[in-house]
Parts: sequence; C-alpha cells; structure tokens
Amino acid sequence: MKPFDPVALATPAFVLLVIAEMLFVRFTGRGRFEAKDTAASLMMGFGSTIMGTAFAFIFLGFAKLIQPYALFHIGWSWPAAIACFVLDDLRYFWWHRASHRVRWLWADHVNHHSSQHYNLSTALRQPWGGFLALPGLMFLAPLVLIGFPLPMIAFVHGINLVYQFWIHTESIGRFPKWFEAVMNTPSHHRVHHAVNARYLDANYAGVFIVWDRMFGTFVAERDDDKPRYGIVGQIGSFNPLRIAAHGWVSLGSDLWRARSLKHAALYLFAAPGWSPDGSRETSDSIKARWAAAQPAMPAPVPAIGTVPVPGTAAVQSPAE
Amino acid sequence: MLLYLAGSLIGVAAIVALAGWLFGWRDAALDAERVAQALAREVPGFRAGRASPDTRAVLIEDARDGAVYLAVARGDGLVTRKLARGLGVARDGGTLTIRLRDFTLRRAHLQLADADYWEARLKGLAP
Repeated sequence: MKPFDPVALATPAFVLLVIAEMLFVRFTGRGRFEAKDTAASLMMGFGSTIMGTAFAFIFLGFAKLIQPYALFHIGWSWPAAIACFVLDDLRYFWWHRASHRVRWLWADHVNHHSSQHYNLSTALRQPWGGFLALPGLMFLAPLVLIGFPLPMIAFVHGINLVYQFWIHTESIGRFPKWFEAVMNTPSHHRVHHAVNARYLDANYAGVFIVWDRMFGTFVAERDDDKPRYGIVGQIGSFNPLRIAAHGWVSLGSDLWRARSLKHAALYLFAAPGWSPDGSRETSDSIKARWAAAQPAMPAPVPAIGTVPVPGTAAVQSPAE
Repeated sequence: MLLYLAGSLIGVAAIVALAGWLFGWRDAALDAERVAQALAREVPGFRAGRASPDTRAVLIEDARDGAVYLAVARGDGLVTRKLARGLGVARDGGTLTIRLRDFTLRRAHLQLADADYWEARLKGLAP
C-alpha cells in the first residue's frame, strides 16, 4: 500500500493559500511580499522536495537499522497515533532547538530563515542538505526505539509539517489567549523568525508552544518591537543554489582553516558564530549586549508555565 | 515523476509571475538615512558619519570608530556588511567596484561623486 503523505495531499492547498495571501496583502497592506524573494523561496521548496526524495533512503535506512532494537511493537490505533503525534512534536522541538544551537545543523536550517520576508512562501523555503546534517538523525531514534511503526511516524510528522505552513504569515494577528497558550501560532512563530535581539533563539515549537513554555525558550511577540526577519548578516542573493549552499560553504571554509581538531569540532558542534578568538558574534553574545544596554527594570514575574533557564532568563527579563 | 516536476515548475512560475505583477520586481532605492537607521538597529551605538549614496548601494562610516559599512539593495530589503582589509577595490572614474569574500554578496558597484575618497578609505581599512 502506498503510504499516505499529508504534505503531498496539502500541496495544492499550499499553492492556493500563497496566492490568496498575496492578494490579501496587495489589497490590505497587512504583510509583505517581494517577487524575487518569493521566487527564491518557491525554488527552495521545489529543490528541497527533489533532494528529500533522492536522499530519503538515508533516513529510512537508519530507521530500519535501529528498528530491531525497539522496546515495543506498537500497532496502528488512534490512541497510538495521537501519542506518536505528541511525542513527534516534542522530538521536533529538540531537533529544531539543536538546529539553531549547533553549527553543523544550522548550516542546513539557516536556509529556512534566510528570507527577510515572512509570508506563506517563506514556509516553503526549505533546505536542500538534510542528508548532510547527519547528527539530526539521532532525533529520529527515540520514536523508532519506542516502537512506533515507521509509516505512523512519517504520517504524524507530515501532519506536523502541514500545521506549520499556515503560521508563516503576518496577515494574521493573535488568537484568543487559550489558543495562544497551547498552540504554536503566527504570532509565536514570527518571534522565532525575527532577528531582533530579544527574539533570538526563541519559540522552537512545531505544533504545541507548551514545549517552549516548559523548557524556558518562550518569548512573546511585543507590539513595541515589531519583528524584523531573516538572519544575523542577511544574505545578499536570491539565487537558490547560493542560498542552499551558503551555510555549508561557510562551515566548510571554517573547517578548512581550523588549526586543531578541537577547533574543528567546535566549529561543527558549538553555536553558530563561535570562533577561536571570539571575534564573531553568537546569538548569546548579541542578546547579552542587548540586555546590558536596556534600562534597569525590576525582576519580572515569570509567566505561568514559563521556567527560566540559564542563558535565557537574563535576556528575557528586561523584555517581559 | 517528470510530469509532476514539470507541473510544479509551471506552478512556481505562475505564482512568481503573479507576485511580480502585484508587487513589482525592482530593488528598493536606498538613501543614507534608511541605511543609517538599519545600521543603528544592527550595530549597537552606531552613529552615522560620512555617507556616499547612490540609489543601489551606500557606503557609510561609523562616526565613533571610522568603521566603514556597505549597504546594498536586495529586493525591497537591504543587506549590510562591515568592510575590512582584503577587499578588492577598483575605481574607474566615478565608478567604484568592490569585491568581497562573501559567498552571497560577491561584488558591489557604486556611482560616486567622491569615489577617490572612498577608494582611499577602503584601501586603508583595518584588518
């Protein structure tokens, strides 16, 4: 039986919604589009589909390799599928967090963040080099080792990706509080794509924003600090080949010039921006500098469900 | 499969054409004020000094430390880079060509009234 692919099924809806958003933005001014940026994003999506299909065997092969060691053999049922969906979203949170905090993974994921725009076409700006970001494979392992069937894992992850499409927009403001408290929304994900110092490295959630609230990475969007999108050091090209390769070229260049194995390892596994002499900026250093420049304010009361963790509390405090 | 790929490419082309029709293709026109505002957001404490704009690219100094930044229009946005020694700099009359060691921003051409000043500034940059 051919596996059911939610993303393939939803693709016509993606296309229609991108067109609908363009018309909405043109006639209301709520959001921004730019033709060359849209072209780049869509071509990145096209290339990602091809590369994903071509190299799917790596992920499938890895899953098949570890599947015999699964703890249980879980069959198809709705409760199992729902549990798999929730656990896959938790898995996504940690993979996504690592993709922002580990240079090797960021070299690939940076492509998704490389647009200075934030609209539905940005959702389709997907990287081409997932097969090179090998440490990402380990985030697949827990669900397989628990014993969920591989087609179920693929299915619920497809649903997860479909959900994440519609949150890439400036055309939708905020939802009622109960919804914003539990679900990832356009407002929360705008923060994730923003380069404003207070918003860096926040809101990694896929479907449920509760993971960010639980693990201390949640930052709320503020009306007095409108998100600016893209990456620190915006890219200067709309060429999809350059966009797809730029993170890898930059990483390769640093590895080539590394003066020791330790430096090479740190270029691979430390945060993006790490350098041996500290001459470059990481998101932590940007946030620390920004926090130091803020006027002193009383310590905030954490929001319910928000657990400050080292490295984020100092940055979030003045912003709350 | 080939049919699927061809259909996808036609779909992409149609959406891009619609985006071009609705929002245009031209790069934004830059001016020194817009660039200074962008740099003030990106570089803590940045104070705009001498600037030499054309509408597609701007060279601007940080009045605090003399650092030189390049801003280039890309679509309706702009891309900035702090310039350092090691650039390729060539001048032909009022046209300054800057070659950067940057995979996504390889060169910039500027039409400048004071190209000789900027050529000297860029050739004398700190590492």
